[in-house]
Amino acid sequence: MKLGIFVSDYKIPVDTLDRLKGDDLGIILVLNGVYHATIKEAGKASDLLGKYSRVYALSEDLQTRGLTPEQVDSKVKVVDYAGLVDVIFNDFEKIAWL
Amino acid sequence: MGKLAMGVYPGLVGSACYDFALKLADAAANKGHKVSIWFSGNATGSVKAHQKHLKDYSTGEKYLTSLLERGVEICTCEACTIARGVQKPEGIEKIKWSAMHWYLGSIHAADRVLHIGGE
Amino acid sequence: MGDVKCAFLVQRPQYKGETSRLALTHALAYQTVEILLEDGDTVTPTLNFVGEGVLGLTKGQKAMEAYGITSTESHLKNCLLVDLDIYVCKEDLDRFGIKEDQLPDADEMGAEKKINVVPFSTIQKNMEEANHVLFF
Repeated sequence: MKLGIFVSDYKIPVDTLDRLKGDDLGIILVLNGVYHATIKEAGKASDLLGKYSRVYALSEDLQTRGLTPEQVDSKVKVVDYAGLVDVIFNDFEKIAWL
Repeated sequence: MGKLAMGVYPGLVGSACYDFALKLADAAANKGHKVSIWFSGNATGSVKAHQKHLKDYSTGEKYLTSLLERGVEICTCEACTIARGVQKPEGIEKIKWSAMHWYLGSIHAADRVLHIGGE
Repeated sequence: MGDVKCAFLVQRPQYKGETSRLALTHALAYQTVEILLEDGDTVTPTLNFVGEGVLGLTKGQKAMEAYGITSTESHLKNCLLVDLDIYVCKEDLDRFGIKEDQLPDADEMGAEKKINVVPFSTIQKNMEEANHVLFF
């Protein structure tokens, strides 16, 4: 299942994401979800970054929060809104907002 | 080019999810994709016309009007909207009012569906 | 285009927020979508309850009496009556100590469908088989 999942929170209020299985799952970090791309809580990167084959973060939401490209983990590809449209149509068969 | 059907449920004021949805719709329309937006839940309050843009609050009307002008189909859930005290004559022109099957109909023709379900 | 399958995943409890309720009312709308489509085209949702979304599904709800709103129990019965497929995650029912016989049916209304209590793997399969996935 080539499913792209939008994550818009840092503390995710539901456990659905943890339970989904599949090699082709990807996540798209938007709004407060972009903190997963930058924060190293207790020195450790977000668990999400190691679990999924593809991780994207929205540049406008990084910039809004004063987060710079240098702070973004190397596993994360940063895209703008136009790039996000391409991700939606080209990289996944289905998309879902958590 | 594809079709993106969006369902937007969070309210205009109080959730940045709404702003995200409109910016994504704008970007998809700019790339030549067909876009439809279904408002349900608190998002339906945003179809009221004559919104004043105060800078500590998000604004919807000017973005919605721009999207409509570029062929984006926008429809509000009639029941959700009137439950919030907004009547059709008060609404932004060219936004459709319909029942929930409109959303399912828009999904039928879509290549991708982004359902932003709200809190 | 024929039939388009949608998996609705309800992952939040009923009543505090509106989202989980809207999953049921939107699913019910599948009955009338055909008026907007070409002959032979349909949209078929499945309703899947997972995580805390399994809360608020049990029998004996008095939402009308308490708040003047239609209960989730009533919506579930109507969903069964119109032959919607409803799946409730067994692991989550077990986790919250909810027994299968606490879930409603719509036998008295003449419904043939029952709520399906299934492992999460079945719900994942529903998602995989669907054209679109909608989290409520």
